[in-house]
Amino acid sequence: MISTLAWRNIWRSPTRSWVIIGAIMLGIWALVFMLSFTVGMVQSYVDNSIENGIGHLQVHNADYRQEAKVQYYFSTDVLPLAQWKTDERLQGVAVRTLVQAMAGSSRATRGVVIKGVDPLGESQATPLSRQIVEGEYLDANKKNCLIISKTLAGKLKVKLRSKIVLTFQDLEGHITAGAFRIVGIFDTGNKAIDEGNVFVNRLDINALLGNSAMAHEVSFLLKDITTLPAMKAALTAQLPELAVEDYKEVAPDLQLYEGQIQTSANIFMVIIMLALLFGIINTMLMAVLERYRELGMLMAVGMNKARVFGMILIETLLLAMIALIPGLLLGWGTVAWLSTTGIDLSAFSGGLSQFGMSTVVYPKLQAALYLQFAMAVCLTAILGAIYPAWKAIRLKPVEAMRKI
Amino acid sequence: MNVITTSGLSRVYNPDTIPVYALKEVDLAITAGEFTAIVGPSGSGKTTLLNIIGGLDKPSNGQVIVGGTDIGALTDNQLIQFRRDHIGFVFQAYNLIPVLTAMENVEFVMLLQNQPVQLRAARAKELLASVGLADQANKRPSEMSGGQQQRVAVARALASKPSFVLADEPTANLDAASTTQLLDIMAQLNEEEGITFVFSTHDQRVISRAKRVVTLEDGQIVRDEIR
Repeated sequence: MISTLAWRNIWRSPTRSWVIIGAIMLGIWALVFMLSFTVGMVQSYVDNSIENGIGHLQVHNADYRQEAKVQYYFSTDVLPLAQWKTDERLQGVAVRTLVQAMAGSSRATRGVVIKGVDPLGESQATPLSRQIVEGEYLDANKKNCLIISKTLAGKLKVKLRSKIVLTFQDLEGHITAGAFRIVGIFDTGNKAIDEGNVFVNRLDINALLGNSAMAHEVSFLLKDITTLPAMKAALTAQLPELAVEDYKEVAPDLQLYEGQIQTSANIFMVIIMLALLFGIINTMLMAVLERYRELGMLMAVGMNKARVFGMILIETLLLAMIALIPGLLLGWGTVAWLSTTGIDLSAFSGGLSQFGMSTVVYPKLQAALYLQFAMAVCLTAILGAIYPAWKAIRLKPVEAMRKI
Repeated sequence: MNVITTSGLSRVYNPDTIPVYALKEVDLAITAGEFTAIVGPSGSGKTTLLNIIGGLDKPSNGQVIVGGTDIGALTDNQLIQFRRDHIGFVFQAYNLIPVLTAMENVEFVMLLQNQPVQLRAARAKELLASVGLADQANKRPSEMSGGQQQRVAVARALASKPSFVLADEPTANLDAASTTQLLDIMAQLNEEEGITFVFSTHDQRVISRAKRVVTLEDGQIVRDEIR
């Protein structure tokens, strides 16, 4: 009956109760939305980084990771390429030769990284072949062809079929150069990638460097990220002389971003729960002060302090529960809807693409965070009930009722 | 057998500045089955006396023994439990729980005593019938007249099978017909079931029905008349 009493007490002042229920619902919805948006942004950044070249795993000469010198290569003869082709866990394997170079047209020069790639492997491991907006993708059978981004082409003032001269140091440290013809122009949407890289056939650049069987990097794109630890272990065993790293080791910023999700969740939760806490305290304090005389009577006829405290606590928890379930459902529904339609931020796409993010963000939220929110709301309700309940049990029946 | 015994009972407000004596050396013994009215002018100490006997207030000096227990020696929580099990209260302003029905209001004290649901329901029905409100069991206080609410309050006061019932001006807010009806019920419960009633009142109609009238003036008993 105490629960019945608590339930009916809530509806003594329906407007006041609905206001706080609405506030809690809105708070939960805002929390779910804000965090799912943040997760979506972070995930977009991480996914883009992985898909646009980093991959899930990378292999390098250990020295190359310390200093990206062209001499720190490894021989492709040690790579079990045939075995990887049949590995069910792998989406694609990209073998790359990487060279710092100056790209010069007849009208401008820019510092770039030449990525010498195997066209087929690169197209399986990255979306590069699908990002060609003009011309065609690299052809393994055509010599000295090059693809360049639309942005960099603009800066170098070149177009399709223009010639570009790439100047760099070979393995001996001698300056060497090669002329390449632009066969395709791509647009990844990621300014860092677009402005800093040109792609050529790996065998062409290897020939200029002076070693046809060399590479600096192998990037692996997995079909399922859950296979990453096992794949990493397998590669480490296969290539004991080389450094095998996952994407978090290759790009620590990705780990930092992923780690920010829980931190963001905690910060959002604390801010919103603090706001709700004061709302709950205010509502429950009003409810207690309005019923001061009645609470005095309840204690006069034998309701002990623990039960009075419990009744106020139950009232507060019921208010929170009424708001919690629809609030979470509303938040979940919003996330479910937006995770398929996405939020189009094309108005800010310039800024976003500079940070390697997509212009459409797909909010998402792990189920565990919904549970955390539910627990946070319950905890807030309990904290919010403490002061009003303490106030209630401190009253003296005779003073509360003035007289029996 | 004495249900209530007070000895040397005093209650002083502002003892350190300008002392105001609400009660002075009150010695009173009430035996089981009495139907006692505490009367006196406003400010004579009637309510203070009832508050102290009911364990809602503490005396400055003296002792209150209820059923052999010195209630002044009990802690707050023990006192709450003592009131629940031994004292029935009827308040001037009815003080029912507005969100509960008549039946639930009567059951409430038994719930606090952790009595089983079926026992509570049966006794609540029986008590409501005894105050003539069997057909009002499912109504909330706001749907009942003042007289009906006060009868529910009497039923609630009896629910825990208390040693006695304290009623502070129970008829003050009632019309003549409701007053008569309430007094009839209380008198009947006193005569037939031997329930001890102690009530404060100004109302001559109530005083005329009392078997014992204790008159207070300036915090002291000036007359104690047994009829």
